[in-house]
Amino acid sequence: MKPERLRPDSIDLAVFQSALHSIAEEMGAALRRTALSPNIKERRDYSCAVFDSAARVIAMGDHMPVHLGSLPMSVRAAVDAVSFAPGDIAVLNDPYAGGTHLPDITMVLPVFLPGADSPAFYVSNRAHHADVGGTFPGSMGPAREIYQEGLRIPPVRIVRAGEIEREVLDLILLNVRTSGERKGDLESQIGSCRVGERRMVELAEKYGEDQRHILIDELLDHSERLVRAELCKMPAGIFTAEDWMDNEGVTDSPHKIAVALHLNPEEASLLIDFTGSSPQVAGSINAVRAITLSACFYMLRCLLAEDAPATAGILRPLTLRTAPGTIVDALPPAPVAAGNVETSQRIVDVLLRALAQAVPDRVPAASAGTMSNLTIGGIDPRTGEPFTYYETTAGGMGARPSLDGISGVHTHMTNSLNTPIEALEHAYPFRVRRYGYRPSSGGAGRFKGGDGLIREIELLAEAQVTLLADRRKFRPYGLEGGEEGAPGCAWVMPSENKAQMDLPGKSTRLLSSGDILHLETPGGGGWGTPQKS
Amino acid sequence: MIAIDTGGTFTDCVYISEGQLRVLKIFSTPADPSLAVTAPLATIHPGATPQIRHGTTVGTNTVLERNGARVAFVTTAGFEDTIAIGRQARARLYDWFAPAPDCLVPAELRFGIPERVSVEGKILRAPTDAELATLVEQIRAAPPELSPEAIAISLLFSFANPETERRVEAALRPLGLPISTSHRILPEFREYERASTTVVNAYLSPRMGSYLSHLEGHVSQWQAGSHIEVMQSSGGTIPARLAAQEPVRTILSGPAGGVIGACQVARWAGFDRVIGLDMGGTSTDVFLADSSAGPQRTRESLIDGVPVSVHMLDIHTIGAGGGSLARFDAGGMLHVGPESAGADPGPICFGRGTRPTVTDANLLLGRLDPSTFLGGSVHLDRSRAERIFHDQKGPLITAEALAAGMLRVVETNMEKAIRVISVERGYDPRQFTLIAFGGGGPLHACSLARALEIPVVIVPTMPGALSAVGILLADAVRDYSRTVMLHADRIDQIESIFFELELHAVEEFSAQPSEAIPERSLDLRYRGQGYELNVPFDPRHPKHSIQAFHQLHQQRYGFSDPRRPVEVVNVRLRMSAPAEPYTPPFREPRPGNGSSACYAERDIFYDGEFIRSRLYHRDQLHPGDILHGPTMITEYTSATILLPACTARVDGYGNLIVAIPEKTA
Repeated sequence: MKPERLRPDSIDLAVFQSALHSIAEEMGAALRRTALSPNIKERRDYSCAVFDSAARVIAMGDHMPVHLGSLPMSVRAAVDAVSFAPGDIAVLNDPYAGGTHLPDITMVLPVFLPGADSPAFYVSNRAHHADVGGTFPGSMGPAREIYQEGLRIPPVRIVRAGEIEREVLDLILLNVRTSGERKGDLESQIGSCRVGERRMVELAEKYGEDQRHILIDELLDHSERLVRAELCKMPAGIFTAEDWMDNEGVTDSPHKIAVALHLNPEEASLLIDFTGSSPQVAGSINAVRAITLSACFYMLRCLLAEDAPATAGILRPLTLRTAPGTIVDALPPAPVAAGNVETSQRIVDVLLRALAQAVPDRVPAASAGTMSNLTIGGIDPRTGEPFTYYETTAGGMGARPSLDGISGVHTHMTNSLNTPIEALEHAYPFRVRRYGYRPSSGGAGRFKGGDGLIREIELLAEAQVTLLADRRKFRPYGLEGGEEGAPGCAWVMPSENKAQMDLPGKSTRLLSSGDILHLETPGGGGWGTPQKS
Repeated sequence: MIAIDTGGTFTDCVYISEGQLRVLKIFSTPADPSLAVTAPLATIHPGATPQIRHGTTVGTNTVLERNGARVAFVTTAGFEDTIAIGRQARARLYDWFAPAPDCLVPAELRFGIPERVSVEGKILRAPTDAELATLVEQIRAAPPELSPEAIAISLLFSFANPETERRVEAALRPLGLPISTSHRILPEFREYERASTTVVNAYLSPRMGSYLSHLEGHVSQWQAGSHIEVMQSSGGTIPARLAAQEPVRTILSGPAGGVIGACQVARWAGFDRVIGLDMGGTSTDVFLADSSAGPQRTRESLIDGVPVSVHMLDIHTIGAGGGSLARFDAGGMLHVGPESAGADPGPICFGRGTRPTVTDANLLLGRLDPSTFLGGSVHLDRSRAERIFHDQKGPLITAEALAAGMLRVVETNMEKAIRVISVERGYDPRQFTLIAFGGGGPLHACSLARALEIPVVIVPTMPGALSAVGILLADAVRDYSRTVMLHADRIDQIESIFFELELHAVEEFSAQPSEAIPERSLDLRYRGQGYELNVPFDPRHPKHSIQAFHQLHQQRYGFSDPRRPVEVVNVRLRMSAPAEPYTPPFREPRPGNGSSACYAERDIFYDGEFIRSRLYHRDQLHPGDILHGPTMITEYTSATILLPACTARVDGYGNLIVAIPEKTA
């Protein structure tokens, strides 16, 4: 007796999906273990993914959610711009050609199977580099145009027929502050792509071409079915919400993000409409459309079980509507550094606020809503060499229906680790003075929002310090009667007898050796009316 | 010498008598594990050098059950919360409802002391005596329900200068509590991981201390002058006295015995590059051992979400065992594990479970023989399993299709786990031999080997007591390390650091009966990288370490650059005193086909169909017997499935050596 299967690949699919996912994870491990900058090796600020021949994402490692929807656009841009031959790798960071913001450098490797003249797959990784040139060390400053934010790289080949293109590499390295570190990190990205290539070739050997296509189609269909199964359970209706960014770093005026969530359980589909959002601005909080798509992807993915595959199929039930020229769909030459790290979080906050009206018991209150990005650059007196440091600091998680929020944890679009203090002080001329929870910063509620963090760093050299943070004026919201989380703040305690100096959310200052930087991140919102004690 | 390994179900006791390994198997006594440990001693004659070597689950279970000591944590003032914050990342990326991780130190028991050491090891600020006195008072003032039972001290940069940690320790001594200090437990950089490891040590110390002293009491009653050695997670033993002080080193005590045992058995059989597969009831452990380097070790372990960074054997555990449960997701994809039916309710066929497990799937496909399973002592209800599989088959047509699908999915998960420890670390599994043990390992080994193109599978003799065998044969080992952060062109200075470590080590090892052998190694990286590779260090040729590093980097990560500056991160010294050599008796193989061991014919499912197969009793096979698949070879705790076209021979030690044919397609 030979058992038959109704859907022929219910099990084949699980096997295939598991293999693809482990390849994306292996690429990540190779990148982490060989990179030079603390931001990649310690904080794991990178993503790796595998694509089919049509550049559809078929597996992503469990890395950075902000790259979910945007990494596929990079691959698409590279495929459109470069006529790939075996042994090539393309590099790019242009937010207007599939990128997110300039420090995120993406590599795309086409996987050619033996004898084939077109790629059967693509593998790609993206890593946040601590500096890509521009006005501000760390390339995350309050710029007015993208030209001030650093070197813009369209999709070009950095490896051709297996050999590194020295000319392209030299062009990049000449335009950044810490070229040695960049070179090491780029080489480790290349190594990671090759790990992915080798493994994809091995995997392909196990399947015939037809079988591969069937499995890939089925895998995408499967993701789609999972999302549609959730959408079917939602109430029908249009749910709207808005929230604000404090300012863009040039003026002090706030900017709105507005969404209408059109849920259609009968068709198991949804339309997400951001057309009421503010026009793009002169500061760097503009998000390119890829980021907005990532936020939607993330929300849908979170409705599924933890082991559901993150593939292009998840987006099929979604129609995304954005107006070009707004802060959720920026056009060149708008600066975008904070769009990826700050506005992306607010887009999630707005999406969740709308979703909470549809399914109140499935959605947490607002989390910190800012990554509190800190970049510091200068000359290390111990070596005489330039350094650039980049790190985000977590805040409080929003309270959940039935659970308090977690304190001091990265939420939503990011999931980096902190740099160990003992690694930080080894790599940079800093001394960390304090690092702990920020008491009572989480919003009160039946369930309490998580607390933010406090961090104090003493500079041991003169340095340019740049902060990109939000949620100073508009606090993380509570839900169902829960209170708002505390807003973030930062100041400098100068070494000499000068007055304490406030650091606005988006600001840059030249500080002296001995100055102490004090940063507090927002708490999460509460959930449910607080019970009187 | 007697080895006793406590397991979840059985406590195994192994000793050598008249040149033969003897095994005693008794049921474990979870309420007081020492009962099952001391029970077999009554039947064994102590002999001349009564040494008990012990694999214990006290450490692991204390962490898993979260019933260790209330720990007071002392760190640099301003950093009290770091033990709870961890690294800021969340474990589950897309789960809005993930529970908060629970810190082993309650918020009220986190204390700061004003002090600071620089990255270079300079004391920038020392605590005053008054500040130390205040700290003592603060700890003493804890309310009774929070009164600490152990203390963990981990100050910033203590690895660079332990002076202040020593002062704090001295000041806290009068409290009369066990104290764990980070510069002793793990003098290495990365403050959170070091602190976490130190806290785990403190968390375990009271329990492990009383367990071991209780056990020592029993053992000395049995035979005066006898003493206990405890298996460490690193694969060597330490005296019970040290294990009580540094229990964090024993967390993987039993599984480490399995690794050492598997490697030793494989070496006797002539294989020295092995991948191990140990499948139990709820999980599967996999590991890799290369000929020159021996079993791989790691410093990045998580025990139930808690980082423990002392050197351990690199045992990768996944939630795939006999009790793993099947479910279909909303899109119709089949998942197996990590949820497990556990011992209660257990698999469907044991009579109480109501959801399909891997064990049930194996039964339905003819791959478990009810008459020999645990000697036939457990009744397996096949029709119950069949009925429930039929009800829960989801989009599949038959109960068999669900069972076959479950095995494929669980084997894929195991294959993935093997890739993590081989391919991801730069090893080609095709150059290795798979050694399969535990209750389920031999059932799935052939099919895994085929998927990974591993040419040979060994099913060792005594697969159920391999951990105890490993513990019996393990070396006595003590690991020392220190973070140095030196430029590699100053590698000549390393010798003096080794000298210091060795002085300390010789002192500690003087109690050992046999001569200890030092093994020196360095953790190197390209300057600026965040992860190191461990290479041997030869004081006569220090530069060889650097060459070895470039080669290893090329092998692991596909690139290397001899011009790039290299950095020495950690210096490592391992002192080991070899165990008494033992060679198992070898019986000359004689050609045979095992026909006298054949006891039945059944239909067994392989690759999409049932095939009539012979069943053999393992204990009735003889060295030299050759069996051809499709076949099942059964024994008390396990069964080996030979796929069609696979051939097994029994070697002179009683191991099954299975040849996996190359793919013909």
